[in-house]
Amino acid sequence: MSYVQIEHMSKTFHGQHVLKQLDLAIEKGELVTLLGPSGCGKSTLLRILSGLTAPDTGKIYIDGKDVTDVSPKNREIGMVFQSYALFPNLTVSQNIAFGLEMNKVPKADIRLRVQEMIELVGLAGKEQNYPRELSGGQQQRVALARSLVTRPKVLLLDEPLSALDAQIRKNLQKQLRTIQRELNMTTVLVTHDQEEAMAVSDRIYIMNGGRIVQHGSPHEIYTQPHSEFVARFIGNYNVLSAEQLNQIAPDLSIREVAERFAIRPETFREQPVTAEDIRLTGKIAHVSMLGNVTRYELNIGDVSVLVDTLHMSFESEQTGTTKTLYLCPKDVIPLYDTIA
Amino acid sequence: MKRFASMLLVTTIPFFAMIALFLLVPLLSMIEGSFQAEGGGGFTISHYQEIFSNPYYLQAFENSVLISFLSSLIGIIAAVFAAYAITRFPQSLQQRVLVITNLTSNFAGIPLAFAFIVLLGNSGLFVLLAKQLGIDFGQSFTLYSWSGLTLVYVYFQLPLAVMLLYPLYHVIQKQWMEAAELLGASPWHFWLRIGFPVLFPGIVGTFSILFANAMGAYASAYALTGSNYNLVPIRIGALVSGDIFARPELGSALAVLLGLTLAAALVVNEWLTRKIRRDLS
Repeated sequence: MSYVQIEHMSKTFHGQHVLKQLDLAIEKGELVTLLGPSGCGKSTLLRILSGLTAPDTGKIYIDGKDVTDVSPKNREIGMVFQSYALFPNLTVSQNIAFGLEMNKVPKADIRLRVQEMIELVGLAGKEQNYPRELSGGQQQRVALARSLVTRPKVLLLDEPLSALDAQIRKNLQKQLRTIQRELNMTTVLVTHDQEEAMAVSDRIYIMNGGRIVQHGSPHEIYTQPHSEFVARFIGNYNVLSAEQLNQIAPDLSIREVAERFAIRPETFREQPVTAEDIRLTGKIAHVSMLGNVTRYELNIGDVSVLVDTLHMSFESEQTGTTKTLYLCPKDVIPLYDTIA
Repeated sequence: MKRFASMLLVTTIPFFAMIALFLLVPLLSMIEGSFQAEGGGGFTISHYQEIFSNPYYLQAFENSVLISFLSSLIGIIAAVFAAYAITRFPQSLQQRVLVITNLTSNFAGIPLAFAFIVLLGNSGLFVLLAKQLGIDFGQSFTLYSWSGLTLVYVYFQLPLAVMLLYPLYHVIQKQWMEAAELLGASPWHFWLRIGFPVLFPGIVGTFSILFANAMGAYASAYALTGSNYNLVPIRIGALVSGDIFARPELGSALAVLLGLTLAAALVVNEWLTRKIRRDLS
């Protein structure tokens, strides 16, 4: 049995199925991300795991124990909320110490553990500040310290960085991952940000319509999407029908039989790499500058594909010019729209 | 943009004019009058000396402060629970309850006293009904006594307190409760350590308004007890209207001291708030 195991979990709100017979397993020390669009059920699953919402059916096991009917305060779970949920009338130290005080930890231990946490999250000197005196990033670090200080078995993170601006978010992602590895903390992160999921996770569970549609390492998820939904959600994949694929690359021989195929925009190359590479020629319909990447919308016959290339030259190519690219057959991924 | 801002400022002139004419001018005139000898004479502090040396006026202050404090305390304690209970109702029911609360909070003065007389007076509906059931209210409760007056005060304080406290509960975030629960806190611990301290400034502010409301209440008390019950507003009313003979200067001095009592209550409340909510200092 895995360290955290969810079996046949279902939940209905007002007659609407939010979770449908869902199974999930997390190993000790792993950081798993639940990734999906709004309303896919990922936050509900996290709340069920915490005990704040009761499931209709299903079982939850943590460290081999059935905790399905255990109250939230006895589950040994830490949770960081999107809105931080810091207590406004308590200082940073008091916020962090709150859980220890509730669990009647001796005062001397509380002082020591709070200080350790403050140092771990890099908030030394802010002990006596109140939440309103801190920036968003600092508040989120207090929330993290408050949930870690009680040494929970599992840490739940409900879109913890989504209210922060891009630069702070990236720094905190890195810090979060470092702390999680340092403490070997089993962690479940909920996010709708694909980049964030890729950056911090050991494994990603992609959810849609109350089901897990695919799971795997970030690399597996990104390079081998099983369905059109995953291909479109995880990146800017070109999803083409078999007919469209035949139209843009008639010489391409694909062994797998599928109705649709996915091609990552960055797999189109300006120079051939292998002898098998297929040559494609089309007209640039639109050019977008995305910083280090230039994105072309290329019309090959009647089919439009997105192409990403590294922004190397000082002059970008103009709309209407003809461009020749090469595609490796193994970068064409058949989609079966199956559920993992 | 600047012109628009100036035009907006111009529209506030009637408001400030009203404040100046009907608040500041009477206030200054009252303060001035309180230091004036009777019949338009020169400066004197004799009215204040008279108030502080006359047990009758001191008793009026004592009664006013006591009934105001007690009715505000009962009102605020009941309203803290009542307002929270309302927030737990379904949204549509909350709106209906608030409309009724709003209506009752405006039901005061003579009509309120009359309603109480009809229901709980010597020949009141409930008194007669209770008599038929063999219960004699007269043994333990009379509307025209201290406890009757307190009941009437609580009646008009409670809905006002509910109206003022209800929005405060929306400050308490559901996620604070959830975070506290996950950290091992019981609901009692949450309210003791987080909920109540967060609400405290609002509760204290509401208490101040209730206290001021009760200190200044005149019509209900007068309609119920006439001038038999010794309260500051009733004394001021008697001195200004001249039931026996008019002494507006002494009335002004009483009114100034009434105002100072309220100011002192505000200072105490502010000090208490700062003690409990250090994050607001």
